[in-house]
Amino acid sequence: MDLFLQLVVSGIMTGAVYALMSLGIVIIYKASSVFNFAHGSIVAFTAYLVWSCLVQLELAAAVVICLSLGLIFIMAFSIQRFILQPLTGQPMLAAIVATLALAEVINGLITLIWPGPARVYPKVIPSGVIQLGSVVFTWEAGLNFAICAAAFGGFMFFFQKTKMGLTMRGTAEDHQLARSEGVPVKRIFVVAWFIAILMAGIGGVLMAKMHGVNQEPLIALGMKSLSVVILGGMESILGAVVGGLAIGVLEALGAGYLDPLVGGGIEEVFPFVILLVTLLVKPYGLFGYERIERV
Amino acid sequence: MKLFKKPCGTFDETYAQDMAPIRTLYRKFLLTCLFLCLALVVPLLANNYFLSIMNIIGITVIAMMGLNILTGYCGLISVGHAAFIAVGAYTSAALSHHLGFPFWATLPGSLLATGSLGLIVGLPSLRIKGFYVAVSTLAAHYIVIWLLLHGGEVTKGVWGLPCESPVILGHSLNTERGMYFLIMGFATASTILAFNLVRTRFGRAMVAVRDNDIAAEFMGLDVFRVKLLAFVISSMYAGLAGWLQAHYLGMITIEQFPLMDSIWYLGMLIVGGMGSITGAIFGAFAFRLLAQAVISLSPLVGQLVPALSGSSVAGITQVLFGLVILFFLVVEPRGLNHRWQVVLASFRLWPFPY
Repeated sequence: MDLFLQLVVSGIMTGAVYALMSLGIVIIYKASSVFNFAHGSIVAFTAYLVWSCLVQLELAAAVVICLSLGLIFIMAFSIQRFILQPLTGQPMLAAIVATLALAEVINGLITLIWPGPARVYPKVIPSGVIQLGSVVFTWEAGLNFAICAAAFGGFMFFFQKTKMGLTMRGTAEDHQLARSEGVPVKRIFVVAWFIAILMAGIGGVLMAKMHGVNQEPLIALGMKSLSVVILGGMESILGAVVGGLAIGVLEALGAGYLDPLVGGGIEEVFPFVILLVTLLVKPYGLFGYERIERV
Repeated sequence: MKLFKKPCGTFDETYAQDMAPIRTLYRKFLLTCLFLCLALVVPLLANNYFLSIMNIIGITVIAMMGLNILTGYCGLISVGHAAFIAVGAYTSAALSHHLGFPFWATLPGSLLATGSLGLIVGLPSLRIKGFYVAVSTLAAHYIVIWLLLHGGEVTKGVWGLPCESPVILGHSLNTERGMYFLIMGFATASTILAFNLVRTRFGRAMVAVRDNDIAAEFMGLDVFRVKLLAFVISSMYAGLAGWLQAHYLGMITIEQFPLMDSIWYLGMLIVGGMGSITGAIFGAFAFRLLAQAVISLSPLVGQLVPALSGSSVAGITQVLFGLVILFFLVVEPRGLNHRWQVVLASFRLWPFPY
């Protein structure tokens, strides 16, 4: 039972980061019906970017934040303006291959700009552990959870209470209707991409802080958000949270109980098994809309 | 049979003439020239370097035929094609390494293994379509690669499996030239097979499912069966490509089948032109030749831009290929094949504009 509790708690800690990262995919999908396959690469890229600003350029934390926000905006704007906007009206395949090609470009840029072995972030958080009853977790994991919760709260405030959030929700509902009410839909798409890359970036930095800045593992971690959104349902923000925590917990349980049987490493692949099972059993996820199509 | 391809004047008197794949003497002449060029001129004149490029292109063409059937004709986007090729390669290598099968006897094993994998991966397509299929094949890619990596003694994990070079009637095909004949033979055969497959009832059923699956079902097609069959056929093509690759390279490791390759295959389909056999061939040639160009030009780039000299060819190739795919998506989504048709048409119509 102790092992079970321990696994569930550490699963929730990881799952919070997954939930935050997958929020990015959901936001883009809700706004513009584009499924972003480049999410994993964006997670890795932003983690490298922040590492460069922080360690190589030795900038102060506030400067790093401003600089990253600016760069994220440039990325969001150019992705939307130069790649996805020209593809409007083309079949869905075009958008899918476009995000895959974008992933390719970003991966190549990472290889070009930051070649060689993995980097590490400087240690700023005390390395001790927190003990709650029989459950133990590190300060770092606890802090990650808190940061994710705060980022999530910030997003929900923005989405529910501000005018921009209202227009975003309107756009998600119906493009044409939103446009007729004077909502600048193209600008909303850029905002959606900005938020998505920001969430990916926060998730990426948190993950890289724990596991090191390393291209392949970070991309694989980011790709796990695909399983999160499929499990939670593509259109649902609540789904991203529930799905993220569920994937985190299931992954930890799978690793805890199955790893001794197969010899380790099962958490790399367990989310994808869940994804396939979800698609077989309940293709639209836990909270997604079931589509009724007409010819 | 008429001599030239003409907008009017090609009269077909029987149904068989109308349905014939080669309808003009001109086209027959062109195809014969192409065949002679591939069968005689290239192996006689080319050096080993050029032959090795042709061999890689041949294997790619076979894999592309499969992906074209699945994605181009049936509209199911597969982001896991590299994993299917990996399964074909590993099955062949494991059969010959552990059980001592001769190289030709491992081909049915490879086809069977990839075909049944395609059947399993295709199962979720019962209820999903569009990007959901892409996600499910992507997940299948991660799972298959993980299984191959953790296969213990059967796949030898990160070390990979050795694979002997093919022997036919006592002749070992361990040279580039020997492999060229084997690979090009299979590539030609699979191209002809694919060309004829998409002309059958099943081929038209796939196009119907791609264009509108609900309407196709309404017309009495068993959509799920068509989708599953497309998956199986496509993965068997991948199995053939993997089988050839294993015996051509002589050694297979898991690094030969990255996710990047699956994206490249999709990109080749876009660049070549989706849903046409010639397009798939164009795409394979364009990407592989571009990759060779990057490899041979990268020392020059390193001299011109010293900042890039330390970085690998892989990074430049990835960025370049990604940009090429994006360029084609935005500027010419119908691909090189469409350009080729435009060029052909302008020759035919010259000196009139249209």
